[in-house]
Amino acid sequence: MNHLPILIILLYLGSALLIPLLAGRFSSRWLAVAAAALALILSGLSAWHVAEGGTYSYFFGSHSAPFGVEFAVDWVTVLLHLTINFIGLAILVYCNKEIDFAIQSWFYTLFLLLMVALNGLVMAYDLFAIFLFTELGTLTACALVAVKPKALCVEAAFKYLILSTLGSGLILLGISLIYMATGNLNLGALGATLPSAYTIYPWNIRIALSLFIVGFGIKSALFPLHIWLPDAHSASLTPTSAIHSSLVVKIYIIAAARIIFQAFGDSLISVLPLPQVLLLLATFGIFAGSLLAMLQTDIKRMLAYSTVAQISYIFLGIGLMTKTGVMGGLLHVINHGIMKSLLFLAAGTIIAKTGSRKIEDLSGMGYRMPLTMTVFSIGALSMVGIPGFSGYVSKLYLAFGAMEAGKPLFVVIILLSSLLNAFYYLPIVVRAFFSPGRHNFTWDGLSWQEAVPMLALAAVTIYFGLLPGVLVNLAKMAAAGWLN
Amino acid sequence: MFKAIFANLPFLAALLVFLIGFYTMLTHSNLIKKVMGLNIMETAVFLFLLASGYVGGGSAPVIRAGTKTYVNPLPSALILTGVVVGLSLTAFALSLVVKLYKYYGTVDADEIMRLRGKDE
Repeated sequence: MNHLPILIILLYLGSALLIPLLAGRFSSRWLAVAAAALALILSGLSAWHVAEGGTYSYFFGSHSAPFGVEFAVDWVTVLLHLTINFIGLAILVYCNKEIDFAIQSWFYTLFLLLMVALNGLVMAYDLFAIFLFTELGTLTACALVAVKPKALCVEAAFKYLILSTLGSGLILLGISLIYMATGNLNLGALGATLPSAYTIYPWNIRIALSLFIVGFGIKSALFPLHIWLPDAHSASLTPTSAIHSSLVVKIYIIAAARIIFQAFGDSLISVLPLPQVLLLLATFGIFAGSLLAMLQTDIKRMLAYSTVAQISYIFLGIGLMTKTGVMGGLLHVINHGIMKSLLFLAAGTIIAKTGSRKIEDLSGMGYRMPLTMTVFSIGALSMVGIPGFSGYVSKLYLAFGAMEAGKPLFVVIILLSSLLNAFYYLPIVVRAFFSPGRHNFTWDGLSWQEAVPMLALAAVTIYFGLLPGVLVNLAKMAAAGWLN
Repeated sequence: MFKAIFANLPFLAALLVFLIGFYTMLTHSNLIKKVMGLNIMETAVFLFLLASGYVGGGSAPVIRAGTKTYVNPLPSALILTGVVVGLSLTAFALSLVVKLYKYYGTVDADEIMRLRGKDE
């Protein structure tokens, strides 16, 4: 048995503790970057292990299920570990100018603890472990928002904390209902016992499922529950916005989907009206998110509302309950993560240089900051779903999934919403390159710490757009592992 | 009917407490009361879990000569972890309230919204 899954978590946990201790002697930022780079290598090794030896379960202290705590190392875990650690590394390399206040080393501690939560949550195979990683994620994510010494950020963090804690309370209540009905917390054991428990305690399990949907819905900003997101994502520091929008909200969807597919399983999903509920909420979210994004004048707020719409695509993929649909959802988790972090980093760079957050001030920016605006445009085009960019691939597979599920209506919805995306992303790109603008700021060029992460993320967006073969195959295996 | 209610009394009580906490958290504009509501809600979930692990006539799960039935120890262990999580959340929420008070000079959510509207 190899110990790679736990090593990734221990690496982040250890570094998070070491950084404040070594703060005077080493650069906190480079220690964090080193930890993320090492974790990326470890997740690469873990992927290689799974490719060679197949998927496996990791047991803590060799206590086997259902007594020990289990980690599932399947293709979903592997793919998401690579994504999380890659994006985390890019964001950490980018972190420089904004974080110059006194608590610098604590910022990196929080960031790495958040990475512990994200890496743990995608492989947790036990309801209580899922709860704990969720709480760790909530606490560190809120603290990262509150780090910026600004009233609006503290307020956004408080709103986020109250609503997320409400979500955690609901999730814990759901867990206790499931535990009452089955006496089990391990997802594999639940998969075997829940269908028979459903015949005895149908209401326990129904209520638990709806509590999970609402609880994880709050945390992942599913449409009517998204009210905390715009403030928290737009007011905070650029690296915080980037990791929140690209990873944090989505990892909760993965946790919810793992519970739905691996604990509830096909037999229960076919009895409960879960797919209909998810599809309805997703449809509302796709349109509402896009329409609200159109109304914004602040670039970071617009990106935040766009996240609400994109999150709904992932819920749509899961709600379709077909292999291709789930695969499209997974692809969108990865592709949207990469392009949204790219967009936030580019927008943050522009805001830092010009001091303006207004969308209209981006006119003519293509001449003043060509590299930043080019990578922003790559992200924007990918978000719209132009062929040749990664956003197109995931939307294509979502549409295939809708066809496979026999619901062609959702193909129309995906097309319409792409049109809506085009309405608010394309004018920015067009105006940046084809219209004059008045800018009076001194432009001293990008430092390599800013340029390299953005270029790397942009390169991955184009690479997965032009040559999606490897990623699509991996996502296919991941979805096949969840839906037998 | 009464028998069913009596048998499920702890769960009904937990539900009631949960709703009280939920209501406090969402309707009160005082931030400290919101944090209190949050705590009441969490406590209700703990009561619920604890009640689900109770075995009639069971003693504490410590092996001793002469005792045959024990209460289920797992929910208690889970709650122990839950309490720690709840404690850290409360501490963090209160520290945010302190910060907000420094910025706005009030702990009332409506008042903060009003002050924010004036800034913009």
